Amino acid sequence: MITVVGLSHKSAPIEVRERFALPADRVPELLRGVVSRPAVGEALLVSTCNRVELVAAPRSGSSLEAVASASREALSALAPSAPENALYALTGGAAVRHLFGVAASLDSLVLGEPQILGQVKEAYEVARKTGTVGSVLHRTLARAIRAAKRVRSGTSIGAGQVSVPSVAVDFARRIFGDLRGRTVLLVGSGEMAETVARSLVSSGSRLLVVGRTPEKVRALAESFGGEPCAWSELALALERADVVITSTSAPGFVIEPVHVASARKKRRGQSQFFIDLAVPRDVNPEVESLDGIFLYNVDDLSRIVSESLLTRGREAAQAFSIIDEEARSFDRWADAEQATPLIVALRERIRAALKFELERSLRGRLRHLGAPEREALDTMVDAAVNRVLHEPTTRLRQAASIGELDTLAFPELSAALEHAFALDAGRSDEAARSERSENGSAPSVPRAGSGDLDAASSDPRAAELDTSLELEPAEDAGAGAGGSR
Amino acid sequence: MDGLATIAFYLGVIAYSAASTLFFLDLARQTAPSPRSAWGPRVLAAGAVLHAVHVVVASLLLKRCPVESLHFALSFSALVAVAAFLLLRRHANLDPMGVLVAPIALTFLVGAQFVGVDLAPEALISRPLLVLHVAANVLGLGIFLVAGAAGLLYLWQERRLRDKRAGGMASRLPSLDALDRATHRLLLSGFPLLTFGVVTGAIFSRELSTFAGAALARTLFGFATWFLLAGVLVLRRLAGVRGRRAAYGTVAGVLCVLVVLVIYVVRPGGPGT
Repeated sequence: MITVVGLSHKSAPIEVRERFALPADRVPELLRGVVSRPAVGEALLVSTCNRVELVAAPRSGSSLEAVASASREALSALAPSAPENALYALTGGAAVRHLFGVAASLDSLVLGEPQILGQVKEAYEVARKTGTVGSVLHRTLARAIRAAKRVRSGTSIGAGQVSVPSVAVDFARRIFGDLRGRTVLLVGSGEMAETVARSLVSSGSRLLVVGRTPEKVRALAESFGGEPCAWSELALALERADVVITSTSAPGFVIEPVHVASARKKRRGQSQFFIDLAVPRDVNPEVESLDGIFLYNVDDLSRIVSESLLTRGREAAQAFSIIDEEARSFDRWADAEQATPLIVALRERIRAALKFELERSLRGRLRHLGAPEREALDTMVDAAVNRVLHEPTTRLRQAASIGELDTLAFPELSAALEHAFALDAGRSDEAARSERSENGSAPSVPRAGSGDLDAASSDPRAAELDTSLELEPAEDAGAGAGGSR
Repeated sequence: MDGLATIAFYLGVIAYSAASTLFFLDLARQTAPSPRSAWGPRVLAAGAVLHAVHVVVASLLLKRCPVESLHFALSFSALVAVAAFLLLRRHANLDPMGVLVAPIALTFLVGAQFVGVDLAPEALISRPLLVLHVAANVLGLGIFLVAGAAGLLYLWQERRLRDKRAGGMASRLPSLDALDRATHRLLLSGFPLLTFGVVTGAIFSRELSTFAGAALARTLFGFATWFLLAGVLVLRRLAGVRGRRAAYGTVAGVLCVLVVLVIYVVRPGGPGT
């Protein structure tokens, strides 16, 4: 099972969330740091403008509480000045349900918004490339994505979406009326910022683009038919702009009250509308105290969007019931997975015994057999193992899933089998090897459900799932703010 | 004739009431508004025509030039306000301002009925100047009423934008920019009339030697109005002061105008007493 530790728009305001914002290039470093902790086997970070959540799975033998504690420590290190209770921690089934809900956009500010699924996929992809996801997170994410797709296709939760760009344009109209001939300044880039800019430009506004990378600025300006400006021309561009959209990855404020006051003087008091889509924020909130200056950040716009929506109670209830169904199915799978190490050990023991006898016969009375016959015997042994163990495997999984088989509890059944086949001795050796490897390098023996990193790559079923996950490019390419970067 | 005036009056009241309701419903409705509400302004215009018929016929019957009596002057200023609004809305989508303009017109049309039709005492002094003085004040009052309405709506809209609230009536109000420009244009139009009214008013007070009591208060509020509105215009021109502070200045100026009017109506021996 997994843990989710983090904060979201529901638990913390933007002033707190922005302290935890991590540039995309530092995420792999964080993830590597998290899985280097003794308790954590796998980790991925979902970081958007509305949330920063560390999803983690334990190493074998570690408790979920230990993983949650390690995750909390890792995240707290990002923002030492943040309040102690800023982070929430969910474990086990609650964490799974939360993650499924997040992927399905049921935990978003705007219920049903489409960007979050892309951002979750992007988070998985980053962790996969960093090498911090194993079989548990792989399976969990695959299920979360499946649940999200079911919610999207099975309900009309995403229908009639009032978007952040549409709200931004609406508010610009409430300030300026007709937007034809108005000047829009785009500072930085990001999908949402560009979408807002596109909406304003399509309403007849002119566009200025300012950024730190001249090539990117030129390309962006060209794509909108706008005018590129150098970063050094920001103050001049501010004087010309009626609407300013900011979405840079700067760690601090890019636009201060002094800049706005100066521009306002040159503009002879004409109103300006600032749309700050960055997390951390680009525009110092103090600019709002100036007459005629209106500043909206991601939280403001998202809240307005969510307030603007008609009640989607029925769709939401339906969506939550899908999530519950998927989470229960995942729970059953996760429970059944408890039996996997025992089944694998049992299978290996029987196969090893049969192979040993076969090898002995092939060296003795059957030594005259050629390669095709030897291969056929090998296949026969595998088939025999499968046939013999089919029923026990099914029953063991069933027992693990429901907790007992007839009147025998799964732990008792498991212990009896381990004792009867002397599997406990073999597993003790394995645990000792694992412990050694934890002290030194990463564990080398994959065990499904253990949260070990290399399990996903070596588990053939996981490889099979790789294709089913279909990690498309994130809908919101920028991992950062609200899909704004 | 008398019947015509009465019928025009009642129909005017009905039309203004209907227009007020239509403008309010247009603001309050939940569905997306059409760019221009068709019926509110039409009904308001019809009300203005009936109002005009009532003023003309009634003043003919009483053989009073409308500017010679406060009764007609008040009624006429409401007519000017409606006309100013209907003219202004041709240049920008200011229709929702009708939610204030129509009730103002209704209030002045009905309220004038409670004000006597006798000649003002000032009429005894300098008749041609009085006509110009009252005409300037009537026109100025009508224009400033609309400017005040625009200023109020500006402050409402601005408050809603600062509160970051979507939906509701404010989302259907005219844009801040349109309201700001409308207020400025109306002030520019009304200010020369105000200046003339204040100067001629001071002359009358001097001629009648009434620099005391209600007359003094009226004169002081008249000057206060002039300084407030002059300040709004000058600061906008020289320092680019506009928006909220200009709206506050305008609303304060219009309130001063209304105070002058109230003092005039309720003064001892005045038409409202």
